[in-house]
Amino acid sequence: MYFVAEVNEKECAKYNCKQCVLFCPEPNCLNYKESGHTAWVWYDRCKGCEICVYVCSDLLKRHCIEMVMVKSGD
Amino acid sequence: MGLEYVRISPGFERYMPRDYVDLVKFGQFGKQVDVMQLGQFKELVEEHPMCAGCYMAYFIRVFYAALPNPEDTIVLGTAGCARLALSQAAVPFIYGNYGDTNAVASGLKRALTIRFPDKVKDVVVIAGDGGLMDIGFGMTMHSWFRGEKFTTIMVDNEVYGNTGGQESGMSPKGVQLKMAPLGKKFDKINAVELAQVAGCVYVARISPTNPKRIAKVIRRAIYAAREFGPTFIHAYTSCNIEYSIPTREVLKDAREREKKDFKFYEWMTDEVKEYLEEIERKEKEKAKQEVK
Ligand SMILES: Cc1ncc(C[n+]2csc(CCOP(=O)(O)OP(=O)(O)O)c2C)c(N)n1
Ligand code: SF4
Ligand code: SF4
Ligand code: SF4
Ligand SMILES: [Mg+2]
Repeated sequence: MYFVAEVNEKECAKYNCKQCVLFCPEPNCLNYKESGHTAWVWYDRCKGCEICVYVCSDLLKRHCIEMVMVKSGD
Repeated sequence: MGLEYVRISPGFERYMPRDYVDLVKFGQFGKQVDVMQLGQFKELVEEHPMCAGCYMAYFIRVFYAALPNPEDTIVLGTAGCARLALSQAAVPFIYGNYGDTNAVASGLKRALTIRFPDKVKDVVVIAGDGGLMDIGFGMTMHSWFRGEKFTTIMVDNEVYGNTGGQESGMSPKGVQLKMAPLGKKFDKINAVELAQVAGCVYVARISPTNPKRIAKVIRRAIYAAREFGPTFIHAYTSCNIEYSIPTREVLKDAREREKKDFKFYEWMTDEVKEYLEEIERKEKEKAKQEVK
């Protein structure tokens, strides 16, 4: 069990943003869907550092990313 | 960037791992990506074992997206944390003995120039503060004195991160580290000034707070090294483990340090400046035409 980031895509799509994607340390972990104008997380690659939460919530006050627990089998 | 470099032999497509196929289909090969497109193409660097929230890992991620000529680039690293990610990228990587990077890079760059006289081959060293300013200090300096044409990037986490927290010449004065419990008694080395005096033709100091600027500096350093001589980038890349930075605050820390001792700094010779302006003007024109 460990934490990974999860994007609330409906909320995120309101902003046409992408900032978190540009500051995640991991390759192809936070990605961006042009079609839906939203960021999304490839959970297997997420190390749970919360830098994206800092960007989205602390810097931009958009609060679209939440840390969620993954369990075995997810 | 040439697609030939990675093309899968006919008939083998379905046996190749997904990451490789993605690299061919959605990677940087065959096109020039902009760093602002991160998250919308398959990156050259793969998953790696660097720590959660490591901003050295972040810098390396941006580095690969910024490379002007990845299929003709060789990256040289050494012992220290950076090689954990450098060795997981679709760009040739050479592991130099600790301290030897700039000697190996000198020979490599010269050999490539003789072997491929009509081709541009970029050589880039990425190593830690310990590797370049302590144990490899002599090799680093002499490569600059000799005017060797390659880029050196110091990923400075101000500690020997990989071996558990010894102080380096780049650790700030007074800092207490796990294996330097009395606190550092000497000043942080002024690496950028040393590089300038030792013969580098392009020098930059940067904190990783702006991907566009990181990419610009990396490309400039690589372009300038092709024609004129050694180039150097001093990048602050925090070690959240040894400096006990909560991972959520790693970017905040980079922004704070940028206001203090890691203010953006860039210096180049007049001829480099002229050369880069010309390249950047052409790149802009090309980009404009592509939009049309
Ligand atoms: C010749 C030699 N001496 C010592 C070591 C042990 N060693 C491995 S990594 C390292 C320190 C790395 O510090 P730095 O270069 O700052 O890189 P970081 O891990 O901090 O990124 C040392 C001393 C070695 N591998 N080879
Ligand atoms: S920072 Fe927030 S709003 Fe912006 S792209 Fe990321 S999740 Fe969406
Ligand atoms: S928690 Fe860290 S690794 Fe995971 S998506 Fe956010 S920034 Fe990337
Ligand atoms: S020990 Fe420090 S520098 Fe090394 S991978 Fe971990 S956070 Fe990064
Ligand atoms: Mg170090």
